[in-house]
Amino acid sequence: MTAARLIIDEVKGYHRFLKFMIVLVALGALASLLRFVFGLGVTTNLNDTYPWGLWISFDVVTAVPLAAGAFTLGAIVHCFHIKKLEPLVRPAIVTGFLGYSLVCVGLLLDLGQPHKGWHTLVYWNVHSPMFEVSMCVMAYTTVLFLEFLSPVCEKFGYRLPLRVLRWLEMPLVIAAAAISTLHQSSLGTFFLIAVDKLHALWYNPLLPLLFWMSAIFTGISIIIIEATMVHRYLNQPDESELLEVLTRILPWVLGAYLLVKLYATIFLSHGPLFDRPWLLMLFLVELGVGVVMPLLMFLNKANREDKRMQLRGATMVVFGLVLNRFNVSMFGMIQPDQQVYIPSLIESVVTVGIIAAHVLFFVLIAKYFPIFEHHPETVDYALPDSFRKLDGAHKAPATQAEQA
Amino acid sequence: MTNHWNDLQNSDCIFIIGCNPAENHPISFKWIEKAVDNGAKLVVVDPRYTRSASKADIYAQIRPGTDIAFLGGLINYALKNNLVHLDYVRDYTNASFIINDKYAFEEGLFCSFDDQEQSYDAKAWAYELDGSGNPKRDTSLKDPRCVYQLLKKHYARYDLDTVCAITGTKRGDYLAVADAFCNTGRADKAGTILYAMGITQSTHGTQNVRAVAMLQLLLGNVGIAGGGVNALRGESNVQGSTDYGLLFHVLPGYLKSPEFDNVNLAAYNKKWTPSTKDSRSANWWGNTPKYVTSLLKAWYGDNATPENDFCYDYLPKRSGNYSYSKIIEKMGRGELEGLVCMGMNPAVGGPDSGSAREALGRLKWLVTVDLWETETSIFWKRPGVDPKTIQTEVFMLPAASSIEKEGSISNSGRWAQWRYKAVEPVGKAQSDLWIIDQFYKRVAALYKKGGTFPEPLTKLSWNYGHGHEPDVHLVAKEINGYFTKDVTITEQDKTLVFKKGDQVPAFKYLAADGSTLSGCWLYCGSYTNDGNQMARRDDSDPTGLGLYPKWSWCWPVNRRILYNRASVTPQGAPFNPKRTVIAWNGAEKKWLGDVPDGPWPPMADDKEGKYPFIMLPEGHGRLYGLDLKDGPFPEHYEPVESPARNLLSAVQNNPVVKLPKNVSSNLEQYPYIGTTYRMTEHWQTGGMTRNLPWLVELVPSMFVEMSESLAKLKGIKRGDKVTVTTERGSIEAVALITSRLKPFNVGGQKVEQIGMPWHFGYAGLSTGDSGNMLTPTVGCANTNIPEFKAFLCNIEKGGRKG
Amino acid sequence: MSTKTIDYSKNKAFLIDTTKCTGCRGCQVACKQWNQLKAEQTTFFSGEGYQNPPAMSEYTFTRIKFRDYQKDGQNEFAFYKEMCMHCNDPACASVCPVGAFKKTKEGPVIYDAQRCIGCRFCMIACPFGIPKYEWSKAFPLVRKCTGCYSRIKEGLEPACVTACPTAISYGSRDAMLKEAERRMKEKPERYYKKIYGKEEAGGTCIFYLTHQPLDELGFKPVTSRALPSYTWDALRLVPGIFLTVGGTLSALSWFNHRKERVRREEEQRQQNADQQPTEGDQQ
Repeated sequence: MTAARLIIDEVKGYHRFLKFMIVLVALGALASLLRFVFGLGVTTNLNDTYPWGLWISFDVVTAVPLAAGAFTLGAIVHCFHIKKLEPLVRPAIVTGFLGYSLVCVGLLLDLGQPHKGWHTLVYWNVHSPMFEVSMCVMAYTTVLFLEFLSPVCEKFGYRLPLRVLRWLEMPLVIAAAAISTLHQSSLGTFFLIAVDKLHALWYNPLLPLLFWMSAIFTGISIIIIEATMVHRYLNQPDESELLEVLTRILPWVLGAYLLVKLYATIFLSHGPLFDRPWLLMLFLVELGVGVVMPLLMFLNKANREDKRMQLRGATMVVFGLVLNRFNVSMFGMIQPDQQVYIPSLIESVVTVGIIAAHVLFFVLIAKYFPIFEHHPETVDYALPDSFRKLDGAHKAPATQAEQA
Repeated sequence: MTNHWNDLQNSDCIFIIGCNPAENHPISFKWIEKAVDNGAKLVVVDPRYTRSASKADIYAQIRPGTDIAFLGGLINYALKNNLVHLDYVRDYTNASFIINDKYAFEEGLFCSFDDQEQSYDAKAWAYELDGSGNPKRDTSLKDPRCVYQLLKKHYARYDLDTVCAITGTKRGDYLAVADAFCNTGRADKAGTILYAMGITQSTHGTQNVRAVAMLQLLLGNVGIAGGGVNALRGESNVQGSTDYGLLFHVLPGYLKSPEFDNVNLAAYNKKWTPSTKDSRSANWWGNTPKYVTSLLKAWYGDNATPENDFCYDYLPKRSGNYSYSKIIEKMGRGELEGLVCMGMNPAVGGPDSGSAREALGRLKWLVTVDLWETETSIFWKRPGVDPKTIQTEVFMLPAASSIEKEGSISNSGRWAQWRYKAVEPVGKAQSDLWIIDQFYKRVAALYKKGGTFPEPLTKLSWNYGHGHEPDVHLVAKEINGYFTKDVTITEQDKTLVFKKGDQVPAFKYLAADGSTLSGCWLYCGSYTNDGNQMARRDDSDPTGLGLYPKWSWCWPVNRRILYNRASVTPQGAPFNPKRTVIAWNGAEKKWLGDVPDGPWPPMADDKEGKYPFIMLPEGHGRLYGLDLKDGPFPEHYEPVESPARNLLSAVQNNPVVKLPKNVSSNLEQYPYIGTTYRMTEHWQTGGMTRNLPWLVELVPSMFVEMSESLAKLKGIKRGDKVTVTTERGSIEAVALITSRLKPFNVGGQKVEQIGMPWHFGYAGLSTGDSGNMLTPTVGCANTNIPEFKAFLCNIEKGGRKG
Repeated sequence: MSTKTIDYSKNKAFLIDTTKCTGCRGCQVACKQWNQLKAEQTTFFSGEGYQNPPAMSEYTFTRIKFRDYQKDGQNEFAFYKEMCMHCNDPACASVCPVGAFKKTKEGPVIYDAQRCIGCRFCMIACPFGIPKYEWSKAFPLVRKCTGCYSRIKEGLEPACVTACPTAISYGSRDAMLKEAERRMKEKPERYYKKIYGKEEAGGTCIFYLTHQPLDELGFKPVTSRALPSYTWDALRLVPGIFLTVGGTLSALSWFNHRKERVRREEEQRQQNADQQPTEGDQQ
C-alpha cells in the first residue's frame, strides 16, 4: 500500500468528531489563503480604528495564557517537587507546544508583512514589549519543541537525542518557567502604552503582574479540563485525585490575584471606574465568574474531589481569563464614541480553524505518541535518569535476579 | 483696487462687505492678519457667518441686497457724529460744489425721471456753473444746495432704526461696525473697504460701489496707505481682461467703445473727451484723443494715417447693449449664428442657466476653448436632452493652462506680474494667444479671397513673429507702445530724443498725431527700453509700507496707491506722517515715496498745483455722482425679488431697471431669500476644480446651506436631498444645516435664507445641479451685471422626482 | 531610556495658530500633492462644516477639522489641522519591535517601510491615533506624515507650511515655543491659555494655539508623561525577573532534589543495614 493509501485508510477510521475537526481546519486553511490573496482590508473587519481584532485578541493575547499549563506544571512537578502530578506534565507540554505553535501561525496571518517576520531576529528594539514577547515566544516554542521531542524520540527509538534531551530536561523546565514569566507578563506590558485608551477598570501599572498570575491559574485550569476530557473521550485513566492537588493550589493563586487586582484597580488606576456601564458589567462578570466563584468553589473539599465540579470550576476560570484578555485588548479599548468591531466571517473561520487544529493535533499526537504513559517500560534504563522516573523499577529486575 | 493686496497690512480697520476673502482670496488673509496683529479691527458684514467672519472682531448679519441701506446708515452715522475727515472732504471732494436748483429727490425718485422710458436725464443733476464755466463752490459747506448739505439731507433718512429694520442687522452689531469703521475718519487712522460680487451683483450694484466710495471719501480714506476702495477680483487675470477692453462697452484702457453716432474720430473725441475750465484740474481723460489714436496706430500700423482718421472707420460701432444677458437673449431668439466661448461657460456661469442652455441650441455653430470639457461644450447632450434635437455644430479647442504659457497676469492691485512657461501644454492644447493668432490669420486669409468689408481685418498690423507661437514679448511691447517715427520732446528741464521704434517710456508721451502707438495706454511703461518691467522681482521696500516699487509693474506708471495726492495736505505734507505714501520735498521740488498721482507740486501751489482726483474733469472725488443711470446719490431699493416692502420710499425697485417676465415676489410661492456664492475649494463654474480629485474630495456634491430653524420647519436633516425652486427653475442638492445662517428680521417677521455655491454642473468628474438655474436675468442699471445675490426661492425635502 | 539628557530645542517644530487658520485646506491638498496620495471618495461633508474626508487614512496624512457651533449665542467657526505630532519621545518608535520608526535629529518621526513587519502595534500605541494602515493592499504598510523629511533635508519647508498663507509657522522648537508664548502674552484675550502639544506625550513638535477651549474644539487630552516610560518601567525589570525566577526555581529544584537524594541515601543506608545479617546467614 502506498503512503497515501495508508493515511486515507487511517483517517477513514477516525471518529466523526475528529473528521469534523479536520473539516474545520481545512476551512481555516482556506480562509487563511484568502487573507493572503486578497489582503487584510478585504478579508477582515480590521480598520484604522481597530487595527487589532479577533486574531490578536484571541489567537495571541488569549491563546498564550491558555497554553501556560506547560510551564506551570513543569515548575510545580520538578521545582516544587510534587512528583505525584508527573503524569500530567507531558499532556501539558503537548498542549503548550501546540498552543504556541498555533499562536505563531495566527501571528503570521495577522502580520501585514509576514514574509518579513524574521526581521525581529535582525533588527532589535529592546524598548519594545513586542520585541520582548516575540523573542520569548520564539525561545519558548523552541523549548517546548525540545520538551516535545522526548516522546517523539521515544516513539521512534532515537537513543542519542533522548539522552541529550533527558539531560536537558531540568534546565529546560527552569528556562520555560522563566521565559514564560517574561512573556506572559509582557503581554500585559503591551497595554501599558495605551495609557489614554484602555479603560481604568483594567489599566494600572500592575497589569503585567496580573497577566502573569492569571496565566498561572489558567494553565492549571486548562490541565484540569484537558485531563478530564481525555479521560472522558480518549480512554485515559481518571486522574481526579491528581487534579484535586491542582484544585488545592488554585484558590491560593486566585486569591492572591484577586487581592492584587482589587488593590491595583482601586488604588493605582487613574480615571473614572464607573462611567461606562457595559464595561463595568464585563469587569464584574470577568471577576465574578472567572475568579470569585471558582475560588469559593474550590475552598470546599467536596467540590475539589468531585470531577464534575473540577471541570466546572476550571471552565469558569478559563472563561474568566478569555473574557479578561478580550476586555483588555478589545472591549476596554473601545472609546465612547466609536462604532463596534465585529470579526468578519473569514476572521472567525480562521480562529475556529486554529482552535480545531489544536484539538485535532492534540488527539492525533496522543494517539500516535507516548504522551499518557505513567511508566515508560520500553525505554533503555541505562540512560541518566535525572527525574528519577525509574525509582525502584530499576532495581527490581536485578534484585529478583539476585534472589534467584 | 485703488490700493493693493500688500497694503492691507497698513490698515487700522478692515471692513469686509459683499466679499469673503478668507474663502475666495485666502492668501490675502496673510496681509489682513498682519494688520490685525498690529492692532487693526476686522469687521465682516455678510448674510452668512463665513470663514472670513470666523476671523472677525465684529460680525454683522445683513440681508442680501440691502447694502445701500447699510452703507447709507454708516454715511449718516459719520456725518451725524462728526467723524468725517473735514479738511479732506472740503478740499478734495465735491462736497463744496453747488448743484443746480432743478435737482430734487422726492419719494424715492430723483428729478427728471421719464416714466415711459424708465430712465433719467442725467443733465438735470449737473453742477451749477459760475461765469468761468467752473462749478460754483461753497467751501464753508453751509450752502443748502452744496453737495455736503444735500448729502446730509439725503442720508438723514438712513437712521439707525430704519437701517436695521431694512438690513435685519442687530442694533448692537450695527453700532459696533459704525463705531469701529467710522473712527477711521481721523487723519492718523486708515480704514479700507474690501468688496466683491456681494456688492456688484445687484440691480443697484454700481450704486453699491458708489456708496463704498462715498463713505471712504468722507472718512478721508482714499489715497492713503491702508485705505482705499478695494475690489477683490474674482479671477486671477480678470483685472487684465477688463484693462484690455474685453467688456463690450470699452476699448483697451477703459476708453469708451464707439457708438453708432460717433461718426468719425473727431465726433468720437468730442463726445467722450471730458473738458474742464479749471487749470487746477488735471482732467486726465482729457488725453483721450492721444490714447485712441495710439490705439488705432497699434492696430492698423502704417495703414492708419491722419487722412483716414487712423482707420477709425474700421472700428465696429455699437448701437445698444451687448452685455452677456443681451447676447443670451438674442441667441435664444435664434438671431445669432455662432458663438465663440473662450474660457467661458454660459451653461453654468450665467443667470437663468436653463434659458442659456436652451439658447445655445439655437446657434448654428459653437466654438468652446477650454482646458476641460465644460457644460457649454456638451450642452447638446446634457441630461434630459436628446442630441438628435440639437442642430448646433460644436467645436472644442483645447486650451493651455496659465502655467503652460508665458505672459502677464494682472492682479486686483493692478500689478501685472510676468509669468514664465513652466511646462509644455498637454496633448494638442494651445495657448489663447496662438488660438487668436490662428483665428486672425485664417479669417484674414479667407477675407483676402472676398467678403463684405474685409479691411478691418486685412489692414490690421499683425506682427508678432514668425514662430509657431506668436511672441508674447512682441505683444507686450506693442501694448506698451513705441514711437512710429523719430520724435524730440522738450520738457521743462530736459529734451528727450526718441528714435522710431523706441519703446514709449510713459503714457504722457503718447500723442494724437500718430507719432506713437500703444495697444493699451494704461500699460504704457510696462515694457520699456529698459526691459520687461513686469518681470522685475526686486523685493526692496524703501517706505516699509509694502509698496515694493520694483516688484513687477503696476498701472498707471507703477503708481501703487491711486489718488495718493489725497494723502497729503494741500501743502504736500502727509496727513499721517507715520504712514507716508508721498511727501513733498519743497527744497528739491519733488515728491518722495510712491509714484505721485501726477508729478505736479502740491495743490496749494498757485501756478502748477493740481487737484488729487485727476481722472475726473473737476478733479474732486464725487460724493455726488453726475453720470450714472440711476441717480447721483445711492438710494436703497429692494432687490427685484424681495420679501420686504421698501421702508425708505414708495419706489420698490431700482426705477431704471426693466423687470423681466420671469421674476416673482410671490412670498406664498417663494418664501425664502436665496443667495449664491463661491467657495475656496471650487472655482467658478467648476471646469477646472470639479475635475481635480483632490478638490472633489473636499467638496464632492452640490449642497445648500440653511438655518437650523428652517431645517426644523421643513423636516430636513443634514445630508437629506432637497429641491430648491425659483421662478426660473429648480435644482436638487444636499442639505447642510448650520447655525451660521440665521433668518432675517424683516419688518418684524422672520424670513429664512438659503445659500448655495454655483460651482456645479453636469460635466466633469463630480457633477451636480447648477445654482444659476435659479438666478434671475436682471441686472445693474449701469453695468448689467446680474443680481445673483438676492432672489426668492422655495425648498422642499426630497430630490427631483424621476 | 532617559529623555532628560536629550536636547529637543533645535528640532524643527510647527506652530499652528488656529486663530489665524481660515480653513482653506491649502495644507491638506499640498500634502496630497507632495506625497502623491489618492483622493478619497466622498459624497457629502463628513463632519461639521465642510470637513472632508471622514478621517485620516492611508490616503490622508493631514486633515482640517471643522467645528461649527454656537456658544452663548455667538457663532464659533473654528478649524484646526490634524497631523502627526512628531513627539519628542514617540510611542510608535518605542513599541515597534523592529525599530521601524525613528525620531530624527531634525525633528520629524520617520518610518522605514523596509523594516516593518506589519504588527500594527504603533497604531495601538500612538495616543493621537496617527499611524494608518494600507488596508487596500495585500501586503500593507503603515502610512503617516513624514514631516516632509526629504524636503527638510534639501533645505525646504514641509509642503503644508509652504502652502499655508496664515496659520502655520515653522522653525526650531525653542523659537516656536517662544513665539507661541509671545503671542499669548501680547494678546491674552485672543488665546486660550494652553499650548496643545507642548507637554502632551512628554512634548511634541506641533504646538497649537487656539481661541476656544481645547476640549470644545475636540483636542484629545493626552498624558504629559512620555509614553515609552510606561512600558519601560515594566520592561527594564526583564533581566532581573528572568534571573530571579530562574534562580529561585533552580534553587528550589536543587534543594528539593537534594532533599530527595538525602532521603534516598537514608533509605539506601537503611536497606543496606537490613541486609547486613544475611551475609552471616549464608555462611
